[in-house]
Amino acid sequence: MTGSSLHGGPDPMARAAVVSVPARAAERPWLTHGARRLMFGYTLLAPAALYVLLLVGAPFLFSLYLAVSDANVGEPIAHFVGLENFKAALEMDVFWISLRNSVVFLVVAAVLKSLLGTSLAFLLLQDFKGKKLIRGLVVIPFTLPIAISVLSWKWMYDSQFSVINWVLSRMGLIGQFGTEGWPIWLGDPKLALVACILVNVWRTFPFSAIVLLAGFTSVPVEVIDAAKVDGCSFFQRFRHVVVPMIFPILMIGFLFDTVFTLSDLSVVYLLTQGGPANATKILPVLAYQIGIQAGSLGRGAAIALFLVPLLIPALILVLRNLKRREY
Amino acid sequence: MARAMAPPMTQRRKSIRRHLLIYAAITPYVVIAVFPIYWMAITAFKQDPDLYRMEHFPFWFNLAPTLRNFKILFYQTHYGDWIWNTFTISAWVALITLVTAVPAGYALARLKLPGAENTGIAIFLTYLVPPIILFLPLSRIVAELGLQDSWWALVVVYPTFTIPFCTWLLMGFFKTVPMEIEEAARVDGCGQAGAFLRVILPISLPGVLTSVIFAFTLSMQDFLYGLAFVSPGDQKPVPVGVPTELIRGDIYYWGSLMGAALLVGLPVAILYNFFLDRFIQGITGGIGK
Amino acid sequence: MSDGHPVETDPTTVSRRGFLRATGAGVAGGTLAAMLDARQAPAQIRGTTLRILQWSHFIPAYDNWFDTVFVKEWGDKNGVKVRVDHIPHLELPARMAAEFAAGAGHDIMMNGSSILTRLYYKSLADISDIYDAAGKKHGGWIPTAGPLVQVEGRTYGMPMFYILLPMLWRKDLFEANNLKAPDTWELARVAARTLKPKGHPTGIQFSQCADANLNWRSLLFSFGGAESDVSGENILIDSKETREALRFAKALFDEGMTPEVFSWDDASDNRYLASGVACWIHDAISAYRTTEDTNPDVFKNTHIAMEPAGPGGKRVSTSAANVYMIWKFSKNQQAAKEFLTHFVDAGPDGMVQSRGYNMPYLLGQAKKPMPIIGADPKMQILQDFPKIVAFYGYPGPFTTPIQEVVNLFVLPDMFTRVARGQAIEDVVKWGMGEYRRIFAKHKRA
Repeated sequence: MTGSSLHGGPDPMARAAVVSVPARAAERPWLTHGARRLMFGYTLLAPAALYVLLLVGAPFLFSLYLAVSDANVGEPIAHFVGLENFKAALEMDVFWISLRNSVVFLVVAAVLKSLLGTSLAFLLLQDFKGKKLIRGLVVIPFTLPIAISVLSWKWMYDSQFSVINWVLSRMGLIGQFGTEGWPIWLGDPKLALVACILVNVWRTFPFSAIVLLAGFTSVPVEVIDAAKVDGCSFFQRFRHVVVPMIFPILMIGFLFDTVFTLSDLSVVYLLTQGGPANATKILPVLAYQIGIQAGSLGRGAAIALFLVPLLIPALILVLRNLKRREY
Repeated sequence: MARAMAPPMTQRRKSIRRHLLIYAAITPYVVIAVFPIYWMAITAFKQDPDLYRMEHFPFWFNLAPTLRNFKILFYQTHYGDWIWNTFTISAWVALITLVTAVPAGYALARLKLPGAENTGIAIFLTYLVPPIILFLPLSRIVAELGLQDSWWALVVVYPTFTIPFCTWLLMGFFKTVPMEIEEAARVDGCGQAGAFLRVILPISLPGVLTSVIFAFTLSMQDFLYGLAFVSPGDQKPVPVGVPTELIRGDIYYWGSLMGAALLVGLPVAILYNFFLDRFIQGITGGIGK
Repeated sequence: MSDGHPVETDPTTVSRRGFLRATGAGVAGGTLAAMLDARQAPAQIRGTTLRILQWSHFIPAYDNWFDTVFVKEWGDKNGVKVRVDHIPHLELPARMAAEFAAGAGHDIMMNGSSILTRLYYKSLADISDIYDAAGKKHGGWIPTAGPLVQVEGRTYGMPMFYILLPMLWRKDLFEANNLKAPDTWELARVAARTLKPKGHPTGIQFSQCADANLNWRSLLFSFGGAESDVSGENILIDSKETREALRFAKALFDEGMTPEVFSWDDASDNRYLASGVACWIHDAISAYRTTEDTNPDVFKNTHIAMEPAGPGGKRVSTSAANVYMIWKFSKNQQAAKEFLTHFVDAGPDGMVQSRGYNMPYLLGQAKKPMPIIGADPKMQILQDFPKIVAFYGYPGPFTTPIQEVVNLFVLPDMFTRVARGQAIEDVVKWGMGEYRRIFAKHKRA
């Protein structure tokens, strides 16, 4: 590990680290232009930062304020009530059910998506005939407006006209319509959550695959060639060169997707509204029903923001860690 | 090496075997992804009574196919307006995202600015604010800007989620570009901005295009903001317009609904392929073979 | 009118029939409205603009008529530019919250099913005068109309129409099996028990959807149960009648339904009927209309029945209310009030255009024969419903805690739990707990 060249050590593990060494060395000449670099840097950053902080930062503070007030829709004046709303949420049976469902939803969906997304990206890296067509087909679920494609899932999960059941039934895997063996996807408390997760996975695994694919392809050819020259097999190259290099993209894609899933209510809201008997109720749906439909903004905000204090430390930790890794 | 030791095989046989393996592996993905799409497509051309006949094979027409659902879409709703609005909104959002997130992502990934890390994290954390809360203060802002009930409201609002997302995504991409390349460019006489524009940006093009596609598609996924800010029939984007006019009380216009989703989703899928294709070709050969 | 629905051009028989009916009736209705509406609106509203937000009606032709004929005629006559916007009916509360937060938006808002007058009354215009005037002019309001829109003695909304959910039953199946028409819940249960083994079960949503909230309340109230007292303060759900209704629902489920009902949404029972499976359903007449379009054979044999009576002979039909209200921030309240007066006067026109969906809250407009439904032998029975109509919270008003109870589907969940086999006592205890907590939270606030 001399850092002299990319083709350095024979150990593929070392190579990933090698890449970062020249990067450190490169800091010095930049420093001589310190002020210019800063100016340049902040100029680049400013538009995005201002946009987001103005349009989300300020409203975010407002929502924090809502969570500690007795605000109602239609009530122009709100009073500070401390943690009353959070307490009220904790007292609710359905809040705990929603919390549990949210966690199950998140974890199961994330695992399935990473598995499907990574393996699909990996397959799409191969050279084969018809690849373009297949790549085109698998991204379609992601490009359809979710509010509408969920409706078609609702139709496919229909208790009577489910095509999924039609196929399974003809294959002899389940019973006939009207018998015990005919699954009622959105009516059975266990199946209903599974059904909702499946739609989420169906819709977003192409997303994971796209992010990864673009990540793979942005790894410079020279780096890979270098590994090839060193006689690494495909899997070695993949595992020790490509994966560490695209790690930041991987993590970010994963984090965003997790957070997005957390605040996304459309799948559950449109499929079941949280039923049957709250079996699929997740926090954003509950927050919407209490905060907006029933008008208790304060309690809705408290429920919607409930996970934020838990998430922030974890996220900051991951993000800082990401920042430190350089390749 | 293992491959060299393998029994000799003709190039052709090897290639066929490889293809078969790949097809076998990828088929489940295609089925999962495409089956619902196929189902939507065929439903869009079915007559209503045909939807309710489960005793027949449901994957083909048991009654003559019909264009009625599309006629409803184009002659009895504002679908033409919606689709136009959706694409215009998405294009504007993608543009705004591009000009803000690309520089920001680069600055955060590369320039080691004091305080940048926290700014970046702050930008990310805005993503944690659930839209169900955010839309209330935002509706005030939209009204103050005089944009209530115009699709421009959505052009202003959607970047609140596309910018954080794309900034971080691009950060990841910029980080994968080895420092030496940038350094080399500087040695060759490019300034800071020059290195960014002439070297880093072209290398990261797949990333940049990916984030454009995401900005575009994410804009089409929203429902709540569109609902809250835009009510006139001719100003709505597709995801809001469709449930307004194609779900009436407890009556669903299934065929038209599905046709509506496909007509807006398919062009984006094609766009995606068209754009990314040329950049992926050749480069993937490097890892893939 | 900056935009309107394009005129229906679809050349299918059904909608052509609807269209012809709509246009023909529109002419007659127009003159009727003109006769009723002899008074001229004040001059100062001339030159103003009025914006209305409402749902998309079941019947597309109704929206056509409303957007392009009805408001236009009124607007032209009074020199007011009227624009009508539509959004999905279940999401009206979200849009209302947004307009409240923005302090700007439409002048007139419709509320469907979720009636938010009590939540928003501080931000709504007091329209007691036109409400009272309309009552006087049209023979008074049905007793359950007032509580929907009145808070502390003032009126903040104009009840415009409600949507009934009657019994829709297959006369052919009943007759072939010597069953009596489902005039009581008990007869309906016997029919389902008899017909389920023959492939014709029944179904009511044991799930979280709007129809579940309405249908189970109809059953509960017909069994003599109650949700809150007239003051709206006290919960009455813990009663012998509730237990009886729950027990009945459990039996109805076990004997006459399949587990599909746990997954149902508002449209599932429509399909159940249209596909020829259901022996009866309890739903809006859209199910009847859908069947007309998709399965004419079944439609021929589908009949509409009175709300079934409970064991004590009581009948209560919980209906989906629709109310119009005016924002206080509206700069054109006067025109808005003029329009609402005109609209409520034109109730019979709305009944015609909606093909019998819109039911009037005004006793004068509920006199037999009512337009459309009075002329259709199968639908005539709907004219008897105004006497037994109720809304959420019955016999109490539709208060904000009831609002939350409805939005969290507490009552349908109680029925679902029982159907799934939980003990009735446990379920009543659970339900009472939820009601109490929600009521307490609103009192605290």
